[in-house]
Amino acid sequence: MNPHQQTNELLESQLLTNRRHFFARGGMGAAALVSLLNPQSTAAGSSLAANNGPGYGPGQPGPTHFPAKAKRVIYLCQSGAPSQIDTFDYKPSLEKLNGQNLPESIRNGQRLTGMTSRQSSFPVAKSFMPFRQHGKSGQWISDLLPWHGKIADDICIIRSMYTEAINHDPAITFFQTGHQQPGRPSLGAWLSYGLGSESADLPAFVVMLDKNTDPQAQPLYARLWGSALLPSNHQGVKLRSSGDPVLYLNDPTGADQNDRRRFLDSIAKMNQLRRESVGDPEIDTRISAYEMAYRMQTSVPDLTNVSDESQETLDLYGPDAQVPGTHAANCLLARRLAERGVRFIQIYHRGWDHHGGLPGRHPKLAKEVDQGSAALVMDLKRRGMLDDTLVIWGGEFGRTVYRQGGNENSYGRDHHPRCFSLWMAGGGVRGGMSYGETDEWGYNIIDRDRYGVHVHDLNATILHLMGLDHEKLTYRYQGLDYRLTGVEPHKPVKDILL
Amino acid sequence: MRFSLLALTLLATSTVTSIAGESIQFNRDIRPILSEKCWFCHGPDAEHREADLRLDLELKSGPHDIFSLPVLKSEFHQRITSTDPDSQMPPPDSGKTLTADEIQLLKRWQEEGAKYEGHWAFSPPKSSAPEKAINDKWSRNSIDLFVLKRLKQEGLIPAKQAEKHTLLRRLSLDLTGLPPSKTQIQEFVSDNSPDAYELAVDRLLSSDQYGEHMARFWLDAARYADTNGYQYDLEREQWVWRDWVIHALNSNMPFDQFTIEQLAGDLLPESTAQQKLATGFHRNHPITIEGGVIDEEYRTEYVVDRVATTATVWMGLTMTCGRCHDHKYDPISQKDFYQFFAFFNNVSERGLNGFNPKAQVPSPYMTRQLEEINQAIDAADQKLTQAAKRAGITRNQLRRAPPLENQWMVVVPDKMSSKGKADFNIKDDKSVLLTGANIPNDTYELVINSDETTISALKIEALRDPSTVNGGAGRGSNGNFVLSEIEIEVASADHPNAFQKVKIATAEADYSQANYSINLAIDGKTDRTGWAVDGNTKIEDRTAVFSFKEPVGFAAGTVLRVRLKHEYGGSHQIARFRTALHRSKKPPTPIALGNITSKPIEKRNEAENRQLRDWWLVTQGSTEVREALTTLQQLEKQRTQLSTGYPATMVMNELPTPRKTHVLIRGEYDKSGEEVQAATPSALPPMPAEFPRNRLGLAKWLVMPNHPLTARVTVNRFWQQFFGTGLVKTAADFGSQGDWPSHPELLDWLAINFVESGWDIKALVKQIVMSSTYQQSGATSEESLQQDPENRLLSRGPRLRLDAEVIRDSALFASGLLSTRVGGPSVFPYHPTGLWQEINNRPGYSRTYKQDSGEKLYRRSMYTFWKRTVPPPSMAAFDAPEREYCQISRSRTNTPLQAFVMLHDPQFVEAARHLAGRMLASADDDTVRIREGFQRCHTRQPTPQESRVLLAELNARREQYKSAPESAEQLLAVGESEVDSSLPPAELAAWTSVARVMMNLSEFVTKP
Repeated sequence: MNPHQQTNELLESQLLTNRRHFFARGGMGAAALVSLLNPQSTAAGSSLAANNGPGYGPGQPGPTHFPAKAKRVIYLCQSGAPSQIDTFDYKPSLEKLNGQNLPESIRNGQRLTGMTSRQSSFPVAKSFMPFRQHGKSGQWISDLLPWHGKIADDICIIRSMYTEAINHDPAITFFQTGHQQPGRPSLGAWLSYGLGSESADLPAFVVMLDKNTDPQAQPLYARLWGSALLPSNHQGVKLRSSGDPVLYLNDPTGADQNDRRRFLDSIAKMNQLRRESVGDPEIDTRISAYEMAYRMQTSVPDLTNVSDESQETLDLYGPDAQVPGTHAANCLLARRLAERGVRFIQIYHRGWDHHGGLPGRHPKLAKEVDQGSAALVMDLKRRGMLDDTLVIWGGEFGRTVYRQGGNENSYGRDHHPRCFSLWMAGGGVRGGMSYGETDEWGYNIIDRDRYGVHVHDLNATILHLMGLDHEKLTYRYQGLDYRLTGVEPHKPVKDILL
Repeated sequence: MRFSLLALTLLATSTVTSIAGESIQFNRDIRPILSEKCWFCHGPDAEHREADLRLDLELKSGPHDIFSLPVLKSEFHQRITSTDPDSQMPPPDSGKTLTADEIQLLKRWQEEGAKYEGHWAFSPPKSSAPEKAINDKWSRNSIDLFVLKRLKQEGLIPAKQAEKHTLLRRLSLDLTGLPPSKTQIQEFVSDNSPDAYELAVDRLLSSDQYGEHMARFWLDAARYADTNGYQYDLEREQWVWRDWVIHALNSNMPFDQFTIEQLAGDLLPESTAQQKLATGFHRNHPITIEGGVIDEEYRTEYVVDRVATTATVWMGLTMTCGRCHDHKYDPISQKDFYQFFAFFNNVSERGLNGFNPKAQVPSPYMTRQLEEINQAIDAADQKLTQAAKRAGITRNQLRRAPPLENQWMVVVPDKMSSKGKADFNIKDDKSVLLTGANIPNDTYELVINSDETTISALKIEALRDPSTVNGGAGRGSNGNFVLSEIEIEVASADHPNAFQKVKIATAEADYSQANYSINLAIDGKTDRTGWAVDGNTKIEDRTAVFSFKEPVGFAAGTVLRVRLKHEYGGSHQIARFRTALHRSKKPPTPIALGNITSKPIEKRNEAENRQLRDWWLVTQGSTEVREALTTLQQLEKQRTQLSTGYPATMVMNELPTPRKTHVLIRGEYDKSGEEVQAATPSALPPMPAEFPRNRLGLAKWLVMPNHPLTARVTVNRFWQQFFGTGLVKTAADFGSQGDWPSHPELLDWLAINFVESGWDIKALVKQIVMSSTYQQSGATSEESLQQDPENRLLSRGPRLRLDAEVIRDSALFASGLLSTRVGGPSVFPYHPTGLWQEINNRPGYSRTYKQDSGEKLYRRSMYTFWKRTVPPPSMAAFDAPEREYCQISRSRTNTPLQAFVMLHDPQFVEAARHLAGRMLASADDDTVRIREGFQRCHTRQPTPQESRVLLAELNARREQYKSAPESAEQLLAVGESEVDSSLPPAELAAWTSVARVMMNLSEFVTKP
């Protein structure tokens, strides 16, 4: 068992009684502690310090709505949208339909994007890679993702995902915030708000961007990990692979740790003096924020320095494991963040948006992520962490079964919201199963009312696994109660839970 | 153990609302309960209304007489107290429950007759003249009377007045976003006259920084940014509109006009360019360029954004609920929403790449500069007139130049030779044609004997000749020539061998080939470069004129020796030429003016006459005139640059035929329902018939004196700016779900007063800051926190963490680095490397952050380039929004990431170095120096204890940097500005550390 886990278990009991445990370890004055622990005694504490306090301590006060299966989430977002046809949605029926025009009756009024709306025919293309069965469960996975074969028994492949958006910006915004237009908190921000942090020296919500190698990749935007109407301390903190790992973390003045300690002590002394004269409890919060900053100056480099990883582990993640900014390196960091109690870890991998040359370009992307993603699941599993760590892998929508432009080799696939595949592993999700099915054309979900998994359903499932009722995790803003999953009825996908 | 955030909120608000022993007020006590717990199913939304029961309006007796007597037997009471899941209200699956207190309140309400009142915010503000108690020594103005009344009701007393320095700091930060300067502090603290404070208020209100600071809040509301948002988020140039806002606020434009011009400036009769510019307000929303989208889909989003923004900013209404369905809580139907939508649906815009319409309008600050330049031009013109008079030039000559007479005389050289021994053939037109030998690089030498005693220029004409390759003027294999260099020497006829070099002042040609300018023929270099004329493709006669620095000539006769050097190779030499001398002490008229002079006088335009005149003036030989003219010309050039060098900004316009607007079913752009016409929400006062049914009518309607919302919402927003929380806490929601005002009468009084003052913003602001309420000490104690936890009762002064921009500006101000230039394009200060590229590195669709240098690093933060997908990181850490949508309040958090910014952002480290320099320069005594810096940072003197801590820090650092000079160097190297080398590095570094401590204190980021 590694030391981080031990710390977390130690914290667990404190967490149950009080999520403001962070302050207890912040080494601050007793008076401040009282005001922060008892929001009723000083409601200024409740309005400022308690809700906004060094960011990473308190979430919504109180225990979870029901027992949590997962304590943390690692979300491997495949931005640009990988093709389900060529990865996880096994469709032997396409062998004979290959090249045929998609019938109007199947398309059934589906809106097209501006990219294919002027296309005259819609010839379907079967997967350009063969599928085969893996593991005891015999899950079908294409050869595009060979490493995924090794985790076939751990992952639940949802083949009946669907969404409302058909273009990248609204679709990924919808996935991450539950709303197509900017203005709503991201999933990670909701979890930070709802559950707070388990870590005394790292934020609750950490974001990593894999370095992009595709020249036509879709950009990312701060709103995807933003807090919007929630207090801004719930926004994701970027852990960067070049420059300062956390913005402004590094001291440009070249001070060493002793210097920094002495310097912070001077600041703290001055702040204490002020606190005594004006009595503002907010000053205590600031003192503890500086203390946490000080600890992060050690904890972040410790986190990113993987020299304590065994060769075996590094080999598991593959040759990229020590190349900063690669998917494998970030997956390894994700595991390290999970060990340290970070609540929500989001990795973005970009470049899947292949409107042309898909058979040539998809393999490159697949190679970039395959081993790292699979290694993460394997690594968590062998450390006993997969049980309470939920891993999610998927894009913002699917891709069309029909070809966009080109010939046999140069074709692409357009955006497709009606069905796509995504996998989840660990954290209370049943491994080795596939959920939902698409029609013989791979275009529509069969019995969507029963088996379809809407983006809101997925988010409801994630919250559920974290012990939160998606209808009760609300935040009052401008007189309205906002929640992640919108106003229409949605529910967790109970069928895939352990 | 269940303790939801909602419960917390209610706990907090209940201290504000319920007043013990008073009778029930529906709006204060009952409406919030019904709205929150009942109206979701029994409210304004007709489509989802259960049991056809509406509880948002007074019930007529009838089948639904649920409030029958006795109360305990009434269906209403039975239902809300029932424990039977089938009849219990709210039903168990609604997730809503009534607390015992709420049930008690509802019961009392029923007992008092279950009377309804219209929602307070939808009825016009009520005037209530406050009366001053005889023993009230505290109140300074009406605000205080309301506040004191409420404090008394709660058994509280106001805090004492804040100390002077605290007050000045608060005031300066609130009115200008900057701390006071050292002089301002000294003046204010030592001025004991009764109007010292008011003088400070007036001084701050009239500073340029006031408008900048006030505009900054407006930028959040107006979702202003320098990029387009959505995916690719490339640049736009709306800063001209931002200048408009600063200017409008600085000139104290009344808020009604401020409203009308921004919402509908283009529709005003004889609308000015500036009024059109103002409408940029509603083009600030994000605009997509994502290829796959459908035009109408996004155009619809833009219109929805305008509705949401307008409703939030002016009415405090959450109108967007009505996009998909009738509002659950407020009387805004879906139809109301689309009728409102119709006002903004008539712009000639697109959804994809919807950057038009645009207009090129100068910023008002440019207009100010233009006015200044115009004045300078007038002055320069006057000066020229006077100089001309002194030089004997008449007014008539000044108005129109006398005819320019050239004194050219064609001459045939007396001796001609060539290095390559070509033959020179003299033609009838006195030109010379070269034939015979044609080496690759030839030089011609011409000797001209002349009787002229004053020669000011030489002209060479290169003439076409049928004998050349293409009938042109060159001997080159392609018909072109390159005159690499011309050399001219002069001698007196009586000393014909004593040649002196003739200095050429200017060379001019009627045509020069690209990269072969005539100036290359007088650059002193005999090389492949020179004057060429595209002779291979353009077969024309060409002329070159070489004007001498001084006229040359000798009484005994003048000998000129001219060398035409051709070094390009390939025999690129002139084939046929003609020479002429300018027999005058004046330079010849430029060739460029030749076109004008050849025109009949009456055909010349103003500019042409002006060119001729300017040239003529130059030739008159008065230095004074020439200098006056140069000044004038430079100013005119500046004016041209200023009046054309600004971007087109996005503005509103109105289609001649309005677009049809339909209710959109479920809010979807392609699901049109009933057609609607532009109209304001039916629950609010009707729009007068004489108002046009367009944006102009809407804007006028919003600022009607009897509009119940606009003035209240606006004064509340200003109140929030000063006190952190509005009188209505939910500053963006004045609907049923909004908070009950802490001081309803004060809110109404302020609103009425604001309208009656002519919507005078500065007067409103002054009223607020002049109050005793505002001037209270902000210090807190356990007791005061207990009694008035969020200061909603205003029992003490506002004490808040400063906004991101103010924090950065304060550091720049304290250090002396801040640039106070007003207006202009956005700037790119320090920024972590790679931030833009890491989220988007798509070639052609991404940018690298290009940091500015010099003064632009130190502009006020409101000018920092705002990229929506990567908002300025040091400001985002301090809760600055992305600006993707309208926001009228920011959260105020306190995080370790903020500590990192203050500790490590080069902007702050560099500022500390400059503050250190100021401290060192202020005195020789360390304690005095510390006072200097501390005062600049915190507007007060340090206590002896604080001084001791800082001195200890100083001495520890002195030791450290003396023993490790390289770490001093490293600290001082942060930032682009030069290090003051007159200061010993270790000493400067130690003081920089002290300055950094000062800037990292909680106090530095706090409004006291």
